[in-house]
Formats: sequence, C-alpha cells, structure tokens
Amino acid sequence: MDSPGAAPTSFQVIRAITRRDLAIGSRRRLVRLLFLASILPPLVLTVIIVVRMMAETATGYDLDWDPVLEFLQFQTLPVAFLALALGTPGVARDRAEDVLFLYATRPVLPWHYALGKMLAVALPAAALMLLPGTLIAILRVGVTRQLETGPAIVMVIKLAVASIAMGWAYAGVSVGPSAATKRGRWALLIALGFFIVPDGLGKLVWGWDALPLGPKRSVDALLETIFDRIDLLGLFGFFVLMLYGGIGLLMTTLRVRKEMIP
Amino acid sequence: MNAWIQLENVHLARGGRPVLQGLTASLAGRAVGLVGANGSGKSTLIGALLGVLRAHRGDIRVLGLALPQKAREVRARTGVMAEQAGIFPGGSGVDAVTFAGMISGLSYREALRRAHRALDALEVGEERYRPTKGYSTGMRQRCKLAMSLVHHPEVLILDEPTVGLDPAGRTQLLSLIAELRDEGRLVLLSTHILQDAEAVCEELLLIEAGVVSYTGPVSRLVSPNAGQITAEGPNLDGELAAALGRAGLRVLDQHPGRIVFASQGDEDLRTFWRLVHERGLEVRGLGREVITLEEAVVELMETSNG
Repeated sequence: MDSPGAAPTSFQVIRAITRRDLAIGSRRRLVRLLFLASILPPLVLTVIIVVRMMAETATGYDLDWDPVLEFLQFQTLPVAFLALALGTPGVARDRAEDVLFLYATRPVLPWHYALGKMLAVALPAAALMLLPGTLIAILRVGVTRQLETGPAIVMVIKLAVASIAMGWAYAGVSVGPSAATKRGRWALLIALGFFIVPDGLGKLVWGWDALPLGPKRSVDALLETIFDRIDLLGLFGFFVLMLYGGIGLLMTTLRVRKEMIP
Repeated sequence: MNAWIQLENVHLARGGRPVLQGLTASLAGRAVGLVGANGSGKSTLIGALLGVLRAHRGDIRVLGLALPQKAREVRARTGVMAEQAGIFPGGSGVDAVTFAGMISGLSYREALRRAHRALDALEVGEERYRPTKGYSTGMRQRCKLAMSLVHHPEVLILDEPTVGLDPAGRTQLLSLIAELRDEGRLVLLSTHILQDAEAVCEELLLIEAGVVSYTGPVSRLVSPNAGQITAEGPNLDGELAAALGRAGLRVLDQHPGRIVFASQGDEDLRTFWRLVHERGLEVRGLGREVITLEEAVVELMETSNG
C-alpha cells in the first residue's frame, strides 16, 4: 500500500485473487494430473523433432513432415481440461460458502473479482500453449536449423496471440458457468456443453464446413490460419474466442455484483 | 473525539420496501453498539456504511469520508466480521487470513507475517494450519476476527460476533474486542445480545423500523444513578413517602415498611437520609436496583411503540 489506509490498486487486488486461486488449484490432485497431461505432448513432440532430424541426417532424405500444427491443435485439448478443472469450482465454491459479501467488505470491486478468477485460468492455459511453442521454435532455430531467428520470433508472436485468445476463452467458458451455479459439478457440465453444443449445432445446420462456434474449433481455426493457410475462418475464430472470454467476464461480474450485497 | 460515523437523514429502500427512514446520528464513542430487532435495518446500515448499499437520500460519512463515493477508501480502513459470511474457502486458517490481507493491499510476505501475528493474538495455535472446513464455531469466529484485523484497520465492524459461542468462548471474545477498543480501534458492534453491547460499548445506536430510537452513551441507560432505590424499615410509612415527594424525589412504590424511589445520584440519597434522620426512623435495608441495558432498551422500545 502506498500509505496507511490507502485503498490498494486494482492490480494488487486482482493479483491477490489470481494468486490464491492458482495456489488452491495447484493443491488439487486432478489439476496436477491434468497439468502433467498438458506437458506430455510437448515432450513427445520434442522427441519427434530430434529423432526426425537424426533420421534425416542419417538417410539424407527430407521427410517433409511437420507435425507442429497437429501438435498445437492436440495440445489445446488437455489445456481445455485443465482450464475446466481450474475454473469451474472457483466462483461456485465462494457462492456456496457465502463469502462474496466478504469481498464486498474489502476494497474489491466485482470486476476485480471476476478478472482475478479468470486470469487464474487464462494464464496457465496460455502458458501451456505458448511455452512448448516457444521451445519448438528454439529447437527449430538451434537444433534442426529449419528456421531463421526472424521467422521463429514471428512464429512465437503469432502463437502468443493464439494462446492469449485461447486462454481468455477457456477462462470465460469455465468461470462464467461457475458464477451461474453453487455446485462445481454443474458448472463443469455447463462448461463442457460450451465445448460440444455450439459446434455440434453448427455442423447440424451448415454441415462440416460450418463456421467455428465453439472454443475448441475456434482455436483450431485460429492456429490453422496462423501456421497453415491464411483465411477469414481464423479471424472469425479469434473473435469467437474473445467473445467467450468477454461473456464469461460479464456474467461473473454481474452475478458477483448481485451477491456481494448483504 | 469527533464523530467517526455521521448519518444525516439517511433513507434507503430495498426491494421497494423502505428500510432506513431518515436515520440521523453522530457517533463518536470508541465502541458503539448497534442494536435493534430483526428487520430493524442493522444489516442494511452496515451495508450502507461500507458503500455496498447506496442511500437514496441523505449523507453518510465514515471517518469523514463520504459514501458511497469513497467506499474503497473506507473499506481499506475498515475490518468487517460479518455474521452471514464465512471464511475464504479452500485452504487453512492462515491461508484465509493471509488472503484477507492481500486483497486489502498487503504483499504476500507482509500479509503472511501479519496473519500469524493476528492468529497469535487471538490464541489460535497449530489449528491455523488445518483446513478451515473442520473448524469449530469458536475457531471460525476467531479466524473471522483475524481476517478482519490483519490489515490493521482503524475501524472494526463486528456483526453478531458471539453468535453460536459457548459462555466461555463468548466472554473470551468480548474481552478480545474490549482489548482492541482499548488499543485505539473504533468498534461498531451490531448485536442482538444486549449484554455484549453493555460489556464492550460506551455508546449505543438503537434502531427500530429504520429510525433511530436512541443514540447516546450506554451509561445514560444503565447508570446506577438512574436506578431505583428500595428502602426497608419497620416504620417507613406514607408520611416519609410524602416528604420525599415534597423534596423532589419520585416515589415509585410505597407499602408499610417499604418505599421504592428513583434516585438520580448521591444528592437524592443524602436527601433521603436527612428526612429519615429528621423523623428518627429506622432503616434496616437499602438496595439499589440497577437497570440493565436489556431492561432499558426493552423499556425504550415499549415506550416508542406506545
């Protein structure tokens, strides 16, 4: 605090809420398990890249196979489960334990609370996409020499944008439902629905070429646009992801504002 | 001391129902008791004092800061132990208290240090490392009090802090609150238990149906000087009662051998003894009936209800 009795900054409050939720989450066995599941694919890909390089060196053939996009698209799945495990219990537990009024007795505004909870999901989710991606970029520059430093930096920046959008959306679809119920399991069910129902409906109405409406397909479309072919589908996916995050933040803020009143 | 809570014609309605109806009070006591029946508006007033609820009309100031405009500043300088709210879930007692410090702006390290100090002061031992889910009511109340104290607030708002405690726990908690008051913290104690208010508070705000029924020192209500004196003796009679009345004392009851009169202080007693002495009467028993805060408040409420 700047001076005795001065209200803390929004940053201090949000950081405290994020930090506590991460600490509580990291103590849960399921979250630890899903965290391990999220770092396995990058390890496997690293092995694949190194073996491929050794095979190409030994045989002199160019295998012409680059699994990075497939890896990143696959990686979004364990990260989604991790986000659900981290995000769905948070607000529901606070509501069930009647502690939202406690936040209101502190210099905490409803949006501080909502954003703090969402960042506790978004930050690890984004990091679990971005860090392995950065590791791959470093491997490609330093070991396999497939990339120059410049394009590698561009790749990491693009991946950072995709990771942040994904983390934000995953936080929205897990924390938002948590604000709608007092039971974490119900919140999980609702959040899973967001991963299944919108894309299912899209396919039902428009067939397999449907626009990405769910968070998982939207991330896939965005990654394809970044790493494979540039099209508007990825841009649409980006907006869908931002929308999911925005709605999650709004839902949580409004719910908390209502329940903070004694 | 200047008033630290100032209410000026505060009107506040909830769900279309007027709850506070022109509340006006200026509270300067180190410890103020907020009392009133269920639904009288105590919780609503606490919400308004924290800027969580907005008054539709009137002015509210806490520590000179206008509400709800300065709500965050007020909350940063206030510690609240809320009856209806629990403990931050998902961790141990020390985790919860540390977090309470952090959302008030302390760094993790400082919040942790102060959390341990607060829990030490409240005599919470190794239990602080256990998950809060298994805490007894007494331990929960201590933990809640530690959460309200961790950021060293100037003001403490305690809402029914002794609810659910056994007599020993209640006495212990009340003496802790009294210590905090004596250390210089300003305490607003909202309670149904008037003995709690009497034990801790020097000033009282009695609300009934959203209006102030009484505001002022507790001593004015419970002072022995405002009590009744019962005198007993073989020949205390109507003649003495009449003499007491002529001397300006209010005789409340009189039977042969027993007179009950209101005493405002030592002067009234001296008058009584003078009249007894002049008449050569014998007094075998003289007792003061001290009015408890509970009796005084019930009488006030009955009076105001007509």
